[in-house]
Amino acid sequence: MSQYEELTTTMTDQQYLVEALAEMGYKPEVQTEGTVLRGYGGVSWNRPVQVTISKDQLRGALAPVGFGRDETGVFQAIIDDLDRKYTDLNESWLGRIAQGYKERQTMAVAKTKGYVFRGREVVQTPQGPKVQLRFAVR
Amino acid sequence: MQEKFITVEIDENGNSSIDLEGFQGQGCGDVAKDFRGGDSVTQSSKKREFYAQATAVKQSLQQT
Repeated sequence: MSQYEELTTTMTDQQYLVEALAEMGYKPEVQTEGTVLRGYGGVSWNRPVQVTISKDQLRGALAPVGFGRDETGVFQAIIDDLDRKYTDLNESWLGRIAQGYKERQTMAVAKTKGYVFRGREVVQTPQGPKVQLRFAVR
Repeated sequence: MQEKFITVEIDENGNSSIDLEGFQGQGCGDVAKDFRGGDSVTQSSKKREFYAQATAVKQSLQQT
C-alpha cells in the first residue's frame, strides 16, 4: 500500500513555483486556499495543498503530486512513496524544480534592483547542468 | 570606468552562487545583499578585486 510522503523545499513564492513547473511541461492546478490531495487507493494527505500536478501528467505515477504550504509558509512537496522510489518523482526531480524556481526569483530580483540582463547560459558539469545568468550594472 | 558584471550560477538543486567582476570594496557586499535579499543567492565569495581597495586604503594609512 502506498502512502504520501513530504519532501522539504525552501520555495515560498507560488508564482515562481507554478512557472517552474510549467517550464518543465506540466500544467499545474492552483487552489490558493488549498485543497485535499487524494492519492492511490483513496488515501489523502493530512494538510491542504495549493498546487497540484494531476496523475495523468506524471508518466507511470500512481498518484498526483501536491505542493502545500507548511505553518511557516514554505511549500513542501507531497509525493507518493512508491512514485518516489519507482518513477523519476524523486529528490533530483524536485531539485530541477528548485533550479527553475531560483532562476525566476533571481530574474525578478535583478529587474527590481535595476540590473541589466546580459544573457543566460546552461553549463554542463559533472554535478549536472548549471544555469548561469549574467547581469550588468547600469 | 570598468564595466561591472554579475553572474549568478544556479545548480540542479536550486543552490546558487554569485560571481562579481569589476567591483571593489563594499560594492561587492551591496550586490550580494541585493540578490540575497530575495533569497536568490545562497552562497557568495569575495574575489581578489574586493581586497584591492581595502589594501590601497591600508597602504595609504601606513604612509600618513
